[in-house]
Amino acid sequence: MALLEVENLDVTYATKQRPPLFAVRNVNFELNAGEFVGLVGESGSGKSTLGNAILKLLLPPGRITAGSVRFEGKELTTLPDEELRQMRWRDFSTVFQSSMNSLNPVTRIEAQFQDVMAEKSDLSNSQIHDRIGELLQMVKIDPSFMRYYPHELSGGMKQRVALALALALKPKLVILDEPTTGLDVLVQKEIMHNLRTLQREQGFAVLLISHDLGTVLEVSDRVLVMYAGEMVEDAPTHGMLKHPIHPYTHGLLGSYADPAAEEVEISYIPGRPPDLTRVPKACPYAPRCPEAIPLCRQAKPQLLPMWDGKAACHVAQMQWNDEQHNHTRHSEEGPKLLDAAFSEATSHKAMKLEGEEVLRVENVSKTYQRRAGFKTTSMNAVNDVSFNLRSGKVTGLVGQSGSGKTTIARMITGTEYPTSGAIWFGETRVDKLKGRGIHNYRKHVQYVFQDPFSALNPVHTIQYLLMRPLMNYGKLNAAQARQKVRELLETVGLTPAEQFETKMAHQLSGGQRQRVVVARALAPDPDIIIADEPISMLDVSIRAEILQLLDKLVRERKIAMLYITHDLLSARLLSDEILVLNQGHVVEQGAAKTVIRQPTNEYTQLLLEAIPRLERPDHVRASYVPTAEPTKVQVDASPVSEE
Amino acid sequence: MRYFIRRFLFFLLTLWTAVTLNFIIPRLEPGDPAEDIVRRLAGQNKPIDPAQLHAIRLMLGIPGGNIFQQYIDYLNLLFHGQFGVSYTYFPYPVTTLIGQSIMWTVGLVLTTNIIGFIAGNLLGAFAAWKRNSIFDSFVSVGLSFVGTLPYMWIALVLLFIFAFQLQLLPMGGGFSETSTRQMSWGYTLDIMQHALLPALSILITGPIGWIMGMRNNMVQTLREDYTRLAIAKGLKPWKVALLYSARNAILPNVTGFAMSLGGIMGGVVLVESIFNYPGMGRLFFEAVGNRDYPLMQTILLFTIVGMLLANLLADFVVGLLDPRVRKGKN
Amino acid sequence: MDTQDHNLKEPLEQEGLTVTQGVTTAVPEPPILEPEDDDVVPQQARAKRHVPEWFEVIWSNRKARVGLILLLFFILVAIFANVLAPYSPTDISFGPSQMPDSQHWLGTTQAGQDVFSQLIYGTRTSLIVGALGGGLATIIALVIGMVAGYMGGIVDEILSFFINLGLVVPALPLMVTVAAYSPVKGPTIIILVIGLTGWAWGARFKRSQVLTLRVRDYITSAQFAGDGTLRIVFREILPNMLSLTVLSYISAAIGAIGAEAGLEFLGVGDPSTISWGMMLYWANNGGAMITGQWAWLVAPGLALAAITSCLMLINFGVDALSNPQLREE
Ligand code: SF4
Repeated sequence: MALLEVENLDVTYATKQRPPLFAVRNVNFELNAGEFVGLVGESGSGKSTLGNAILKLLLPPGRITAGSVRFEGKELTTLPDEELRQMRWRDFSTVFQSSMNSLNPVTRIEAQFQDVMAEKSDLSNSQIHDRIGELLQMVKIDPSFMRYYPHELSGGMKQRVALALALALKPKLVILDEPTTGLDVLVQKEIMHNLRTLQREQGFAVLLISHDLGTVLEVSDRVLVMYAGEMVEDAPTHGMLKHPIHPYTHGLLGSYADPAAEEVEISYIPGRPPDLTRVPKACPYAPRCPEAIPLCRQAKPQLLPMWDGKAACHVAQMQWNDEQHNHTRHSEEGPKLLDAAFSEATSHKAMKLEGEEVLRVENVSKTYQRRAGFKTTSMNAVNDVSFNLRSGKVTGLVGQSGSGKTTIARMITGTEYPTSGAIWFGETRVDKLKGRGIHNYRKHVQYVFQDPFSALNPVHTIQYLLMRPLMNYGKLNAAQARQKVRELLETVGLTPAEQFETKMAHQLSGGQRQRVVVARALAPDPDIIIADEPISMLDVSIRAEILQLLDKLVRERKIAMLYITHDLLSARLLSDEILVLNQGHVVEQGAAKTVIRQPTNEYTQLLLEAIPRLERPDHVRASYVPTAEPTKVQVDASPVSEE
Repeated sequence: MRYFIRRFLFFLLTLWTAVTLNFIIPRLEPGDPAEDIVRRLAGQNKPIDPAQLHAIRLMLGIPGGNIFQQYIDYLNLLFHGQFGVSYTYFPYPVTTLIGQSIMWTVGLVLTTNIIGFIAGNLLGAFAAWKRNSIFDSFVSVGLSFVGTLPYMWIALVLLFIFAFQLQLLPMGGGFSETSTRQMSWGYTLDIMQHALLPALSILITGPIGWIMGMRNNMVQTLREDYTRLAIAKGLKPWKVALLYSARNAILPNVTGFAMSLGGIMGGVVLVESIFNYPGMGRLFFEAVGNRDYPLMQTILLFTIVGMLLANLLADFVVGLLDPRVRKGKN
Repeated sequence: MDTQDHNLKEPLEQEGLTVTQGVTTAVPEPPILEPEDDDVVPQQARAKRHVPEWFEVIWSNRKARVGLILLLFFILVAIFANVLAPYSPTDISFGPSQMPDSQHWLGTTQAGQDVFSQLIYGTRTSLIVGALGGGLATIIALVIGMVAGYMGGIVDEILSFFINLGLVVPALPLMVTVAAYSPVKGPTIIILVIGLTGWAWGARFKRSQVLTLRVRDYITSAQFAGDGTLRIVFREILPNMLSLTVLSYISAAIGAIGAEAGLEFLGVGDPSTISWGMMLYWANNGGAMITGQWAWLVAPGLALAAITSCLMLINFGVDALSNPQLREE
């Protein structure tokens, strides 16, 4: 008997106002004692819903509508509350997403361990105290921190505390829901490592829920992949790396690559997941699947065993049957690959044009004064940074949070003034601009925001949003502006434009919104674009698509771009030059390929090591068919139900 | 620490503003306010007593003098505790009158407000915990109707039913004229009997604000991750409800407690005047009726100071309850 | 919930949480099309809508629907008071202090006026005071709250101080004091006093709302698009605060109606005004208790409670607009 058995599980969100949303449908899987299993899916795939359903922590209006969840053979869906309560934390515990809010803000760390330990163990108070110390040490936190309040700890520390808390009663299963999302890569890496070590030592089972297939593959024994509320693949890690069975898994894997490889290429999956208010009667992936056959649109594939795992795919199943029957091995070839890819080779970077200098940053420093009580402390956010931006070239600014990269961006856009040094835009001193000057300067310097969900005002139509810069800077009248809006929308691949004009931001998907944000930045025909983590909020499977778009626009329009990111892979792909920033200092600077392939600085090396390395066999990587032709984005008429 | 210093500075600044406001309001009228008041008194066919005129002058400062001089004199008088002389109760200084009535009001307001606060928050927490139950819909719909009934109306109806029709309770006052006014069981009972109806008038609607506030806050905190984690921990349900969800939901209400005293004061003025209760509210009512400006303004000033003190206290309590506030993030 | 990584969370768990800043976000979405006809989207899908969307959301809330109908009822009563009332409210030709009978449904006052007619005419005063007094307070609150929130810095410090001051000063005693000094009496002055002293709560809410909206990326985005400060405040921020503003307007109106009644009851109103507050004043001073005229005593209070309730019910619906968690489930 497996530790956890989930059978035909359905979870539905039903409200009076909206049509019911079938978030999780007919999910089956098992989890054995001591197993480390990853659960991967993109936003809206139902992975967190599944996690919460297993824990019986669904928030209304979410409800388990069918199926069963058994823990050590005990049926949780019908278990009386009181019995379930007895099992909680002793049998299974959990860590929530990035724990910013999962610790009670008004009580000390110690108390949050104390209450559950006192109630659920026979330890005396002093024993509990000692045990809390041990637990904290286990996650590499000094026991003295138990006297602290949650807000006094950093994000990474809170997450460790949450992990220690989950292990307090030595549970048999720990469910972690995006435990490191939002933390710096180095911290992420450490926490994951910590978790894996503890799991090996103590032998509890783990269900690790994440959107990041890379991280999951690195630590898990087995990986479950969800798409649009259904389980599409369930396979051991080494098998999945060697031979991803489901085309979706394959697509996801394409988003990962080793940034330090000689040639780097990542692919994306065009289109977007279906609306879950209507249950697809066919394969939910069919509209995006490069291998779809007519049967895919007629019948739903079942999750069936094939090769070393299970998958829900008609084509894969045929191949498997074929193989069984003919004793030939298709698997070495793997399924056909996507032709939607972005690589250095196909990037317009390869054109090697000599861009002329547009902006020069000279020995810029920024110091913040902070007042705490009567003492004033100063903090050097940016320290003696120099670089320049060239037309048609991308400069990558790589660093973790607190490295000063955003401060640099703010100084370049004139929203903040450097403490010393100068920023030149042609003959203009940017750091001396005020009021009207800044307004005029902004025609030339535009910004692409990190979060496409907050960069577009929810009360305006796309048309209004795009007309504003055109009318403000281009001095167009309304009719001309409207005409231009269409051109812009087509430029960023939102076609047909008429369809998007009248929409509100919330009716678009994340990727489409980010395209609108890019279009808005292009509207005044700027010389410089600052892209601040433009892909970090997007689903993994569409990131390459936006990178490709940015690349094309920058090179074609001879725009100088500052690409701010924490992600070395995308920096390598998009940038000509890379600056690595650590605590306000530039620790490494040079041509993208050189910096990443032969890093001289220790910090850069650390960052590189933190990237999940997917040891994929050559045949999987080498079979790409690179195309220079950017893939037309399929316009999906149905409004997004992502929110 | 910084937090408390900041709050204290705000206290001083507000106090000063309130005092100044008190100085300005009577001077907003055109002409010499003192003469105007005198004229009005004359219009009421009362003989103008020079002493009354003096009382008005005291209150308003020496007329004709430069406005700054008047202001400084005014502050000076205040500083020495001289708030002028009431001319309804001439020649008593207003401070004496307030001194006699203040305890009645403080007693009434504090008891009702504390009972209301505790009961309200508990009921609200319970409603949120049992969301969408019959109790919850009774609380969130039924009680909010009761909450719309005006204080004065409730007071009038209670008085009408219990004192006039049923004659169970006294019609007004703080104690019986026949009582000895000595500390004794009889006297205490007498006071209780007199306070019952006024207190009830405030208590019928008083807690409703807290119930609704607590319910709505807690509906939110129940969805917060820390509450969900507490459920995941398998803690006893009452611990989850009280120590996690309610504990966080009550924070805004504590700040609101002091603020609400302002609203309660309005109710107290009305209720005390209806029950002829010997507190500051009735005194204020009388002062308004008799155009006793010195008395009226001093009571307003005292009330504001009372509110400020209550706020200071509430800030202090919030600081104790919420470690994030203590840190001085503002 | 404003964690930077909110969109990596499962949107399902946060249903209705992330897109809650505006009226438009609560729009019921148009019907979903088959994936096959992706490329031919009929434009008519979103046309043909006569009722504004916000109204649909409010109307879909049962409580708010009852509130709106009741409000309409009160407005009609106020407009047609002269038709509905059996007598003139100031006519003193009836016998004093009569108990309710078929002639005078609610009896007569001490001065011999018909209580029922007064009750009907009193609707006018309450509605007008609520609309205007609440309106004045809301406008002041909006200006002060938005300026404080958007400008920040020293301007904010100063305005915040006044907001806090306004919150601390007990409203009714202050109103009474100001009204007592005023040389003229009557509803106009009461409206002014209520407006000038009752804005603090609203200003506080608006300030904090602007503070959270101000740092949204779309505000920065508008700056980069070259929009000026005024345009940003009115076209980017204000529309996102619409439901909140309506909410505080209705609350202010409730406050104004109650304050007016209180002020008149305390005797700072014009004694000849026909209003519910004044009716209570006369009932209390005119011996309704002694003569046992329960109707004269009870009716105006219930009327006040009814009008307040109906506004409150509407607020439930508006609340649901801005805070989907409070929506009926
Ligand atoms: S069933 Fe068909 S459409 Fe679905 S994943 Fe397999 S091949 Fe693609």
